[in-house]
Amino acid sequence: MKAKDVKVCVLRIEGTNCEDEMAEAFSMVGVSAEKVHLKQLIGQSPASLARDLEDFDVLALPGGFSAGDYVRAGAIFAARIKSALGPQVKKFVEAEKPVLGVCNGFQILVELGLLPAMEETMTPVPTAALYTNDSARFECRPTVLRNDNRGKCIFTSDVQKGKLLMIPSAHGEGKLMSMDPDFIDKLQDNDQIVFRYVCGNGEPAEYPWNPNGSPSDIAGICNPAGNVMGMMPHPERVMTRFTHPDWTRGYSSQDGDGKAIFTSVVRYLTK
Amino acid sequence: MSKDGLMTRRNVPFELFDVDILNATDADLNKISKDMSLSLSLDEMKTIKDYFEKEGRNPTDVELQSLGQAWSEHCCYKSSKPILKEFVFGIERDDVLSRGDAGVMIFDDDYAYALRVESHNHPSAIEPYGGAATGIGGILRDVICMGAQPIGLADPLCFGPIDTKAELPPGIKHPRYLMSGVVSGIRDYGNRVGIPTITGGFFFDEKYTGNCLINVGCLGIIKRKDLGLNYVGGPGEIMILVGGRTGRDGIHGVNFASKDLTSTSQDDSRGAVQLGDPITKEPVMHACFEVNEKHLITGMKDLGGGGLSCVVGEMALEAGCGADVDLEKVLLKESGLAPWEIWVSESQERMMCSCKPENVDKVLEIFKMWDVLATPIAKTTSVPRTRLYWNGSLIFDMDLEFLTGGPVYHRPYTLPKVSSKANEKFPKLPGNDEIIMSLISDLNVASKEWAIRQYDHEVRASTVIHPMVGKMNMTGPGDASVLMPVPGRWKGLAVATGCNPWFTALDPYNGGMSSIDEACRNIVAVGAMPNAFTDCLNFGNPEKPDRLGEFREAVRGIGEIAKELNIPIPSGNVSLYNEAPGGIHILPTPMIVGCGLIDDVRNAITADMKKTGSCLYQVGKTKDEMGGSLLFRKFHGEEGQVPGVDIPHLKILMEKLLKAMGEGLVLSCHDCSDGGLAVAVSEMCISGDVGAQIDLKALGDLSEKVKLYSESNSRWIVEIDGKDTEEFENIMGDDVTCIGISKGDSLVIKSAKVDIPVSVLRKAWNDPIWNIMGGASQ
Repeated sequence: MKAKDVKVCVLRIEGTNCEDEMAEAFSMVGVSAEKVHLKQLIGQSPASLARDLEDFDVLALPGGFSAGDYVRAGAIFAARIKSALGPQVKKFVEAEKPVLGVCNGFQILVELGLLPAMEETMTPVPTAALYTNDSARFECRPTVLRNDNRGKCIFTSDVQKGKLLMIPSAHGEGKLMSMDPDFIDKLQDNDQIVFRYVCGNGEPAEYPWNPNGSPSDIAGICNPAGNVMGMMPHPERVMTRFTHPDWTRGYSSQDGDGKAIFTSVVRYLTK
Repeated sequence: MSKDGLMTRRNVPFELFDVDILNATDADLNKISKDMSLSLSLDEMKTIKDYFEKEGRNPTDVELQSLGQAWSEHCCYKSSKPILKEFVFGIERDDVLSRGDAGVMIFDDDYAYALRVESHNHPSAIEPYGGAATGIGGILRDVICMGAQPIGLADPLCFGPIDTKAELPPGIKHPRYLMSGVVSGIRDYGNRVGIPTITGGFFFDEKYTGNCLINVGCLGIIKRKDLGLNYVGGPGEIMILVGGRTGRDGIHGVNFASKDLTSTSQDDSRGAVQLGDPITKEPVMHACFEVNEKHLITGMKDLGGGGLSCVVGEMALEAGCGADVDLEKVLLKESGLAPWEIWVSESQERMMCSCKPENVDKVLEIFKMWDVLATPIAKTTSVPRTRLYWNGSLIFDMDLEFLTGGPVYHRPYTLPKVSSKANEKFPKLPGNDEIIMSLISDLNVASKEWAIRQYDHEVRASTVIHPMVGKMNMTGPGDASVLMPVPGRWKGLAVATGCNPWFTALDPYNGGMSSIDEACRNIVAVGAMPNAFTDCLNFGNPEKPDRLGEFREAVRGIGEIAKELNIPIPSGNVSLYNEAPGGIHILPTPMIVGCGLIDDVRNAITADMKKTGSCLYQVGKTKDEMGGSLLFRKFHGEEGQVPGVDIPHLKILMEKLLKAMGEGLVLSCHDCSDGGLAVAVSEMCISGDVGAQIDLKALGDLSEKVKLYSESNSRWIVEIDGKDTEEFENIMGDDVTCIGISKGDSLVIKSAKVDIPVSVLRKAWNDPIWNIMGGASQ
């Protein structure tokens, strides 16, 4: 497949608010991205606007406050997807097409049972949750992530293992928790951990470098197959160096640290 | 029919009263105004009586309520308009594209940017969370109805001291509670709609304890070919009400905003505060942009103060038209609202669009796709009158010129006595180490990170210069924020606030000028050229001559400097009656939000010092102007000369400094404001995590304290690499003074016996607000 033929579905409902920059991020790496309202995929739009999920190669769930996040972050959007589009989404994932969830998108993937999804593609009930930050506040701040994936995740195929990326966070609920006492070990064993928060110098993170108190400093995970990834920080916000918070202090590349995640997707689909 | 005094209920199956104004005595007229919460004066009531005598009938309650809205200070600027006209209107420049609900300026060949700031002071004093949130909602709508995508919010806020232990007057809420609620309200609304809050400011003073100021600004971007109008295209068009339903929230908001707060405002006026809903707003924005971009509508305007009663008349009259409204078609939150309540309700998240009849279905389909309610409720006519019908019965029929024209007052004013050098009482001061530590930890200087990081300032991925600058998680204060609003283009929009209420209190004219100077300094500090201002003028009761005198002088200062700089003010807002119970009034607060342009954001500059061994310069001249300075406020100095502005010199300095920046000679730059040179250099040390050695000798004959703490305008501190100093001095000439070098890890000023480790400065600057508001710090 050629990059220009790759079609990305950037899915939105009311309150999704990072869809513009998510679509722009994909365009910046040479693929075409369309912002699609959920209603367009489930036959609730005028015929000319109707879309079929199957026609897309990538599904991206952008950040925001879908439906206000008044119940629990991501819960309402996830419920709507599940009831109207559940089987299609499952098929999409089983076809090994990439699915990316950022921030609210990550929360939605967890609510949908697509992450961590240790036992099956899409668990009927969520097996983890993104809890309120330890600070009990919304935290908008730069965070440094280390790529801890051993090679399974397709979203880091362009990123060296152990490499540090500055990708900013902006969320109130980002602490990944599970009832399973062996949760972290299992993620580790399955190579499902993608990103951990670290300090600017690469040392283990403390607040505020870990902005939410997530156990084991986990910032992003993938499914066992490696084609579904959710992360709290926003790679689409750092496609160029000039949206990094400290670029005026010097830089070596004009690319932003988030770009590698998007080029990884293209590499996977065009190999 | 039932009769209650002067009100007679009409025998119809809905609530409607005829008000017997034709036979009313002066006492009756006052009673009507009071009983119906119209906030109209006796003279105004008499004018209305004359009008209805000519019409040959009594008004309905709907008509009187409508007049109460339209003639409020908030809606018709009856006290401020003559003064604004005299001093600030009429800065014509070809790049002003619109002076509509928001001002619109040329950004580049294809795009324009929109700007507007307004106040939401009184609602926030009663209900801080809802008041602030709906303030954000309202200012967003002002930008949206130009067709522009909001790209940034700017929220300057003024509170009483948040650590006060003093007993508060009845009805007054604790400043800490107010600040917590307001910041949460801005956070929850701004973050949910996905518009970054990129700049703002916090001002703390006892004078704001009884009447906090919540000013909300918004910037937007739009393709120039899609720039919308705020009025209808002509007669025979359909007006479609879109967005939220109409309810009893926000009734009489404009009247509440147009009188002093009292100890019982909490109970009397709670219903004047609207309820915000960002998740209704977010799709409303998408749908409004879509109908505008497809050129399906002729005009769009938001429903703010006065609700339907203002928007219908204003949209029609601007095009010389009138409107026939079927009021029963308005979708309600609950049944049983009286027609007058529907007509004046300020329920949130509503917009009005006008379109040709043939486009109605297409418009409705787009709103349906976004699950946004849209209801055709009115038709425009060729007669400039508004007529309201309720299921066919005429309940309102008024001349629009009369209704929306409103009275204009040339109220008496007295010019304020101005603070002077002759009366200056210089305070007794401790050592400079102690002074600097005290100034840097003053709430007005200390880190605002507690609030800034609760706001998403990066959503939309276009924030180039962030509100806090420097090393990650060791940041210090920035000057202006910079956005690159058009994906794929490097052109940037810099946004900053400027205001010095303390200067303005002591010398309103110089205070007004200083506010503009500060906005300019902040914009130039990041490498951008100031391009336009929007202002929110917060003052006291204009019926008191000394308050109006303050207003007049401040506006004169703003107008004079803006005109001489030739920088337009295409939008703005006036908020009067900011008075707390007991006659305490706010500091006069002319809040400026300034916008600047930078051709390539990759050349932008931040305030954090970049390395050791650089030369530090002061740009501009320090003068003996201690009036209103942080030093005097902190250590009880009195009077003194308030800083003025040498406008031609400011112009030259801005041009030269931007030239030096354009040549790549400036490593960092920070403006000198509160606390003067001493605080500016300290802040650059904090954000750069590097020390400085300062030598004051080159600053001439002034006293040490003046050199360190004077807040003279038009000054910056810049960091220049040693190899570039000659070229820099060549450009700047006599306008710069070398004041030292960046070095080590302490701020050292030998002659003044200052030696403070940067880590100590950082802690003193960083902790105060965190400690009061709670939570962990950097």
